[in-house]
Amino acid sequence: MNIRFAVNGREVSVETDAETRLLDVLREDLHLTGTKEGCGEGECGACTVLLDGLPVNSCLIPAPQVEGREVLTIEGLADGHRLHPLQAAFVEQGAVQCGFCTPGFVLSAYALLRSNSAPTDEEILTALEGNLCRCTGYGKIVSAVRTAAERMRESP
Amino acid sequence: MDYVRVGSLAELGNALGRDGATLIAGGTDLMVKMRAGSVRPRLLVDISRVDELREVSMHPSGLTIGSAALVAEVLASPTVSTNYPLLATVLRSLGSTQIRNRATLGGNLANASPAADSPLALLAYDARVTLAGAGTERTLPLHEFFLGPGRTALRRGEYIRSIDLPTPRTDWDVFFHKVGRRRALTIAITSVAGLIALRGRAVVDVRVTAGSVAPTPIRLRAVEDLVRRRELDGEQIAAAHATALREVSPIDDVRATALYRRTVTADLVARFLHEASESTPTSP
Repeated sequence: MNIRFAVNGREVSVETDAETRLLDVLREDLHLTGTKEGCGEGECGACTVLLDGLPVNSCLIPAPQVEGREVLTIEGLADGHRLHPLQAAFVEQGAVQCGFCTPGFVLSAYALLRSNSAPTDEEILTALEGNLCRCTGYGKIVSAVRTAAERMRESP
Repeated sequence: MDYVRVGSLAELGNALGRDGATLIAGGTDLMVKMRAGSVRPRLLVDISRVDELREVSMHPSGLTIGSAALVAEVLASPTVSTNYPLLATVLRSLGSTQIRNRATLGGNLANASPAADSPLALLAYDARVTLAGAGTERTLPLHEFFLGPGRTALRRGEYIRSIDLPTPRTDWDVFFHKVGRRRALTIAITSVAGLIALRGRAVVDVRVTAGSVAPTPIRLRAVEDLVRRRELDGEQIAAAHATALREVSPIDDVRATALYRRTVTADLVARFLHEASESTPTSP
């Protein structure tokens, strides 16, 4: 079957089937390999993308379900070569080690900051609860989100 | 595997009659089971865009939640946090942000896990479920819907239409505690939820529910009957603890032993009653 949806603001049309997950369409058909597969069962959040603005696990979504909808992946966040403030803050704060979980963390944080420009640490932790990191520990990730939020408030 | 997206209840009734049809809404449980090979649908019937199944509305006799309403949508409803705070509390512990953005209340019930979160609040609020099929509709109390792990009263060709909660008391105090290895994305080792209305130290009414300690999520009715219309003192709480120990029937599994579950569940029941008794001003 053919499905049409928007990825990072661009309309795409893909030949796929119900056995194929959104994650596979993004990586294999559209070559957007920033989205990672970790556990494949919704526990780790490495495959997080935004669907109509909300963070979801792309490993749990059959491709046909995104027909007509909007997907944002990590590739859609930077403005050309200029990093999004969240990406810049992750780099500066050392919130990245192996990097495998990072796209998912950044997108979960991005969704949070769009609805809440001044989150508390508790709200940051709740927004990131569906994302696991096995290298850095979470302190630097939370402080990166806090830093990005401050900068985005100063120069929106 | 085929896929069909239905846009109305009429289309849904027809599609469900087809061989090997399985409903999908958020897919957060189904996709995991399909990956493990424990469920092999021949046809996925996607109900996620049936508007009639997505309503969350308060009316004079209570609250109606469509089976395909997202957990995140139920949580965002002001009427839920105002009138059914235990439901809001329990749903905040369900899965993770990503899961709550996809999972539905109907899916959580149909999955029929003994460890499921939402039934603890729904059973406490005396929820009823409406099951519909092609030209049929019936309503039953939620406790009659669960038959065992993964087993429900749904017949072939039937789907969950809605979940209805009666108008609650306005003086319920709320308790919820889920024991797991971490806060998010944890399958409960045991969990206890409670509603209690007190006048002074006297229990006017009480509901206690528990998960992961029986083949289905359960109401602890023996505990409720013991403390209802009694004074909540240390002796009464100890008796409730002893009753809870007997009323649950947990098993050993990969997450914990039966003994641990039984003990912790009874302790949580005692904590619930103790906290409630502490929160009431003692009369002079």
